Amino acid sequence: MPNFVRIVVACCAVAGGLSVGGPLAWADDPLATQIDQQIAAGPDYAAMAAPLADDAEFIRRVSLDLNGVTPTTARVREFLASTAPNKREALVDELLASPLYARHMEKVFDVMLMQRRGNKHVPAANWSKYLRESFAANKPWDQMARELLSQDGSDPALRPAARFFLDRDADPHLITKDVGRLFLGVNLECAQCHDHPAIDDYKQAHYWGLHAFLVRSFVFQNPNEPAVLAEKAEGEVTFESVFEIRDKKSTGPKSTMPVLFDGKPFDEPKFEKDAGYKVKPADKVKPIPLHSRRALLGPAVADPASPKFARAFANRVWWLMFGRGLVEPLELDHSDNPPSHPALLDALTQEVIARKYDLKSLLRSIALSQTYQRGSLPPAGAPEAPPERFAVAPLRPMSAEQLAWSYSQAVGLLDAHKAPLGPTGTVDQAMDKLPSVEPHFRNYFASEAGRIERGYDARSDQALFLAHDGSLLSWISPSGPNLATRMLAIPADQPEAMAEELYLSVLSRPATAEEKADVVAYLSASSDDRTKAVMHLIWATVNSAEFRFNH
Amino acid sequence: MPAPAPYACRSASHVSRRSFLTGATAGTLGMLGFHGMARAEGAQALASAQKQVVVFFLHGGVSQLETWDPKPGTPTGGPFQPIQTSVPGVQICELLPYTAQIMHHMALIRGVNTAEGDHAKGQYIMETGHPQRQGFEYPALGSAMAYHLQPPGSPLPGYININTGAAFPQEAAFLGPRFAGLTLPAAGTPANLLRPESITDTQDAARRALRQKMSARFEQGRKGAMIEAYNQSHDQAANLLSKKDVFDFSRMPSTDEARYGNHEFGKACRMALRMLEQGITFVKVGHTNYDTHSENFNFHIEQLGEFDRTFATFVTDLADRGLLKHTLVIVMSEFGRTPRINHLVGRDHWGTAWSVALGGAGIQGGAVSGKTNEDGTKVIDREVNGGHLFHTYYRAVGLDPTKSFYNNGQPVDKADHKAEAISEILA
Repeated sequence: MPNFVRIVVACCAVAGGLSVGGPLAWADDPLATQIDQQIAAGPDYAAMAAPLADDAEFIRRVSLDLNGVTPTTARVREFLASTAPNKREALVDELLASPLYARHMEKVFDVMLMQRRGNKHVPAANWSKYLRESFAANKPWDQMARELLSQDGSDPALRPAARFFLDRDADPHLITKDVGRLFLGVNLECAQCHDHPAIDDYKQAHYWGLHAFLVRSFVFQNPNEPAVLAEKAEGEVTFESVFEIRDKKSTGPKSTMPVLFDGKPFDEPKFEKDAGYKVKPADKVKPIPLHSRRALLGPAVADPASPKFARAFANRVWWLMFGRGLVEPLELDHSDNPPSHPALLDALTQEVIARKYDLKSLLRSIALSQTYQRGSLPPAGAPEAPPERFAVAPLRPMSAEQLAWSYSQAVGLLDAHKAPLGPTGTVDQAMDKLPSVEPHFRNYFASEAGRIERGYDARSDQALFLAHDGSLLSWISPSGPNLATRMLAIPADQPEAMAEELYLSVLSRPATAEEKADVVAYLSASSDDRTKAVMHLIWATVNSAEFRFNH
Repeated sequence: MPAPAPYACRSASHVSRRSFLTGATAGTLGMLGFHGMARAEGAQALASAQKQVVVFFLHGGVSQLETWDPKPGTPTGGPFQPIQTSVPGVQICELLPYTAQIMHHMALIRGVNTAEGDHAKGQYIMETGHPQRQGFEYPALGSAMAYHLQPPGSPLPGYININTGAAFPQEAAFLGPRFAGLTLPAAGTPANLLRPESITDTQDAARRALRQKMSARFEQGRKGAMIEAYNQSHDQAANLLSKKDVFDFSRMPSTDEARYGNHEFGKACRMALRMLEQGITFVKVGHTNYDTHSENFNFHIEQLGEFDRTFATFVTDLADRGLLKHTLVIVMSEFGRTPRINHLVGRDHWGTAWSVALGGAGIQGGAVSGKTNEDGTKVIDREVNGGHLFHTYYRAVGLDPTKSFYNNGQPVDKADHKAEAISEILA
């Protein structure tokens, strides 16, 4: 087994920032620097801040965040052994260039945009492909948002983008809420029937102004043809506050043209009855209006200069890397819920616009910041850092998909499926060979399809699955070059080397002396045959809390 | 997985069933910082000793007009007639002939106005006693009752869902995952309950001990709430395994099949009885599907035909075993159905004037509270909402609903402080 050298990153906290000594060169990234300055500016930050994560914690975290899976055992060994001063920067670039990046973002944005919905009008597989290709090409988010909000499903190349509307059955209420929530950081749900009772900024007129873009659209389908979006030439929205009606203060129903928040309402041409159509509605005929309200929505929402749109995206990108937004929750951005770091969110928003909604480049800058690279263990005796101070790396439960693939990585299921592909085989290709892994974990660790992903859950049904599921147990038993096989290939009189293989593979770090002693003790105390003892060691490690969380 | 009912509406919250275990817990990241309150609430704990609760949740929204509040001979009343019950002067719909014979165990609340016609939001009110509030989760009744009434140190969960379809999300809220429901299929053990024979007790104990040791090492120096919840889930799983016989349906008397009916709901009720006999604090049984936007009357004949006899048998068995006097029985839905009959001969969602039935512990059998107008479109006497219902449930099992929970030092109403108990139906 190759020896490795664990690089210790020496660092010391100083007021206003943290300097890094030792062999690590700090990347020169102005945005990363700005992030660190803004985050460190809060009171007592230096006292609360964790030192930088060591290389092992860093490679695990950044691999989970950018590729959705823990690193391979070989990559961990190589990274820990490397003495290259810019190795963290190089790793970030490697992860962003990996096909696993697009695979991971596909999952993240499917959960965000469609809540893991199954097949309806647009097959889920086509949607996945669209997302994967978009993220592989690093399609700018504003372009993607316009596609999602503007496609009607008739262009075969971009039909999957129409899924956002079609698989919500073009329900204008649902889409009003989701467009606000997902693209603009504003949840108008409680402003449908009255001004929001708890949030002054959210008005009933905002809800209906957004709704007015959508009210004429519907799903149109001829027998044996795919469903598409269609639109009528007529249909207005009117609304009246139920509070005002109750209090007898209503001046009657109001109407609104399409408008985003307090912006300028869109005007539209007026037509005589039935004259507003390029193609008139008739049996089995998709109507086409002369003026489309829905066509206004994408450009209005994803206006590259729109502060709400860019700000919501900046906040979401931050959330992707830290598990919480600068505005938290993401969908309740309003003046009574200010960001934890207002100037930083403004700066990130400007940067989003300046970089033309380039997701990869934003992720890269954040990943290179010291703020992102902090350790997850608070310094002993330090005052407790509230999570919105970003002084200590947060503990984040892995998503169902991250857990599925990291489990497969840890126990060597991916290694076993990569081996037959030869020396050029990749983890990405091995994942393609394992289509049932994700659904298997989603059954227990994901919210139900179509439901918004809620907070962290730790349930006994999950633990029963982890403890007794037949597939999981079979992955732990020796098969091909998986972890059990590799551990069993180590001579029995070298239990410390077995511990090393176990920890590097499952927890992406070397074992401490104490941990090695535990493994040695477990093996010697066990009266079972060696294979079983190794399987139980793997089980305990892959089910430890350290594995369950991204830290 | 059964095919979706043809009369189902397309609401995202619509009843769906997961045939595997779901939803046994919760606690969001921000809410795990629950530092608890003094659990031993002294005399109160004594007064509610041994109290248990069983909820029948009729998913989709059962019609009050075809159950507890018939309106014969009116334009909204539908084709069915009311029948006499075991309580003189109290009539219910003829679709419930067996339930009519046990009405002396039950009380009716006919003035419910939850003002909510959305499945998910209606269910939220009925399960938590509060309308949904953004950015905050109230604990569900089952979690709250498990929290208050579960004997300390019990290896079994305090709250079990049987045949309830999709789990009610984040139901334990800040009370923490210990008090979330464990979901069982109608007849059978929780998924993955049984350990493969290749792993012995000794081996399992050893691997679990090592897992625990590694996790404790990781937890050292870190904020522990999420880690603790994760470790607890493993402990709960081990506890369940140690009590696996409790969930063994084959140990239940097969003669009950004829009495309860050979259907999912019958099996679920037999399982519920077994759970209550085992001392489980709170059991929720689901029956679906009442979302009758079309063919309301035919579907109520069918659904209630299954519900009625089984439910009455269940209550009778509880009474015969001496369990009913300390078990609160609640029959609820997310809302009722519109008095207006639509063009598909259906009734739609309706939270404005509907009914809930209660029985058993703390309830005055045969009592009726509230009244709707002649055609059932409005509550005209003793209007109540989710808050009143929760006050009543708490009182019925000997708990004080005016006390608060404390979530990170912030008081949270156990039952809405603007409401009070429906005392006229309490024993």
